[in-house]
Amino acid sequence: MKKRQTSKIVASVFLLVMAVVWIVPLLYGIFTSFKSQSELLREGARLLPIDWVLANYQELLMDNTSTPLVRWFFNSLFIATMNTLLVLFVVSLSAFAYSRLQFKGRDKIFTFLLATMMFPGVVNLIPLYKIVDMLGWVNTPWAMIVPGAAGAMNIFLVKQFMDNIPKDYDEAAQIDGASELIIFRKIILPLIKPILTVITLFTFTGSWNDFLWPSIIFNDIEKMPITSGLQLLQGMYQSKPTLLMAGALIAIIPTFIIYLFAQKYFLESMSLSGGVKG
Amino acid sequence: MSLSQKKKKGNQAQSKVFPWLFIAPHLVIFSIFFLIPVVFGIYISFTDWDLVSSPNFVGLANYQEIFTNQDSIFYTQLRTGLTNTFKFVIFVVPFCIMVPLLIAVALNTKPKLGKFFQSLFYMPSLFAISAVVIIWTLMFNVTYGPVNKLLGTSIPLTSTMPYAWVTLVVVTIWWTIGGNMIIYQAALNGIPQDYYEAADIDGASSLQKFFKITLPSIKGQILYTLVVTTIAQFNVYGQPLMLTGGGPSDGTRVLLMYIQQNAFGSGQSIAGIASAMAIVLGICIMIVSAIQFKFLRTKN
Repeated sequence: MKKRQTSKIVASVFLLVMAVVWIVPLLYGIFTSFKSQSELLREGARLLPIDWVLANYQELLMDNTSTPLVRWFFNSLFIATMNTLLVLFVVSLSAFAYSRLQFKGRDKIFTFLLATMMFPGVVNLIPLYKIVDMLGWVNTPWAMIVPGAAGAMNIFLVKQFMDNIPKDYDEAAQIDGASELIIFRKIILPLIKPILTVITLFTFTGSWNDFLWPSIIFNDIEKMPITSGLQLLQGMYQSKPTLLMAGALIAIIPTFIIYLFAQKYFLESMSLSGGVKG
Repeated sequence: MSLSQKKKKGNQAQSKVFPWLFIAPHLVIFSIFFLIPVVFGIYISFTDWDLVSSPNFVGLANYQEIFTNQDSIFYTQLRTGLTNTFKFVIFVVPFCIMVPLLIAVALNTKPKLGKFFQSLFYMPSLFAISAVVIIWTLMFNVTYGPVNKLLGTSIPLTSTMPYAWVTLVVVTIWWTIGGNMIIYQAALNGIPQDYYEAADIDGASSLQKFFKITLPSIKGQILYTLVVTTIAQFNVYGQPLMLTGGGPSDGTRVLLMYIQQNAFGSGQSIAGIASAMAIVLGICIMIVSAIQFKFLRTKN
C-alpha cells in the first residue's frame, strides 16, 4: 500500500511539471493578446500584462479592411459546419449499409475502402487541385467541404460501433413492419449518437484546422478560412505579436467549444476503438 | 398472389436497390475526389504537366531528373527535402510515443485534478498549426520571448542549428500528444487490476510492473499509434513553413514544402516533377508503414 502511495506522488509531481510546460505557452499567449505593443517590447517575458488593453481585439474585429478576420472566421464556420454535416450524412448511411444490409459485393467494396486508407494522401494533392479547378471550385468553400467526405476512416469507425448493436433490434422492428429507412432513423441513429459526436469533433476540428489544402485552393483573401488568414497575418504583422496572438486566440475558440460538448462521449468511444485496434 | 406475398416481393425488389442508395453518396464523392485523383496523380508524374496545358507523356524523365541528374535543382530539392523529412520523423516520433505514454501511466494512478490534466494535454490538438506557431514564435522570440530569458541566451533558436530542429520538435510534441495519450489511457484502463495485485504479492517493483505487465498489455496500441504517428509526421509542413521558414539555409526545409512550391508556387508550375516527388514521398510512407505493420504482426 505504501509503495502505491509513493508511485502516486511521483506521478503527480511528473504531471504537475508537464502541466506547467503545457499551460505556460497558452497563458503567455492569452495574456500577450491583452498587452499593448509597447509594453510587450518593454517588459519582455513578463507573464501578466501591467495594463490590460483590448486594442488588439478591437483592431482585428473592427478594422475589416486590412484584416478581414471576422470574414475569415465565418468562412471557416461555414466550411467546417457544412463539411461536418456532409460527413455525418454520408458516413451514417454508408456504415448502416455495410453493417446491416445485405447486397452483392458488400464485403468486397468495404474491404477495398479499408485498403485505400493505407494510401498516402500526398499523392492526391496535385490532381485533386485540377479536379476542383475543373469543377470551378477554386476559391470557393466547396473545395474544402466536399472532398473532405471522401475518406473511409469514419465509415470504418461507425460500422465498428454499429456491429456491436444487437441484430435483434432490427428483426423486432421488421416484424412490426418497419422499413429499412425507419430502422435506420428510429433505431440505429439514436444508438450511434456517441460515435457520431466523436466524428463531429474530429471532422469539425480537422476541417477548421486544415492548413496545406486551403493554402493551395484559396488565393482570394476575402474567401479564405481563418487558418490561412492567420498565416497571411503572420507574414504581414511580424512586428505586431500582440495582434497576432489575439487573432490566434479567436481562431481556437470554436474547436474548443466543440470539444467541451463532445468531451462526454469522447473517452468512451476512444476506449472502444482503442480496444478494437489493439 | 396473396397480398402478403406481393408485399414480400416488393420488399425484395426494394432491398436490391436500397443498399446502393445508402452507399452511393459516399461512393460518388470517394470516386471523384479519391480514386480518380490517385490514378491521375500517378499518371502525371510521367508527364511534363504545368497544371494548365494538357500533359505530355515523358516516361521516366521526371524520375531520372530528380534521382540521377546531379546538376538539376530538383535533384538537390529531393535530397534535401527527403533527408529533412526523415530527420523530422526520426526526431519527433519517439517523443510522440513516449511522452503521451508516460502521461497516460501517470494519469492512470488517478491523481487529483486528473480530468483537468487530461484536458490540458489534449487541448493543443484542437488548435490549427498556424495558431500554434504564432504562440510558439512568441515563446521563442529572441528579445522578449520567455524561453530565451529562461535559458539566459541570446541565440535566435528558430534560425540557428541545431536548435531549429529542437524548436520544431518541441512545438510538434506540444501540439500532438493528445490523441495518443487518450488511446493509451483507454488501453491502460483495460488492464485487469489482478495482474498488478499478483505482482504486488510477488514483491515486484514499480519499474518491473511497468515493463512486465503494463507495456506488454498495451503493445498493440503502442504499435498502432507508432504507425499512425509516423504516417502523420511524414506529412510535416506547417511547422517548418511558419516557425523556421525552412531555415537556416534550407536545413529544415521538408519535401512537402518543395512539392507545394513546385506545383503551386509563383512562376510556372512544374506539376509533373512535383507529382514525381509526391509519389516518392508516398512510396516512402508506404514502405515505412509496411515495415511497421510487419513488425506489428510478428510481435503479436
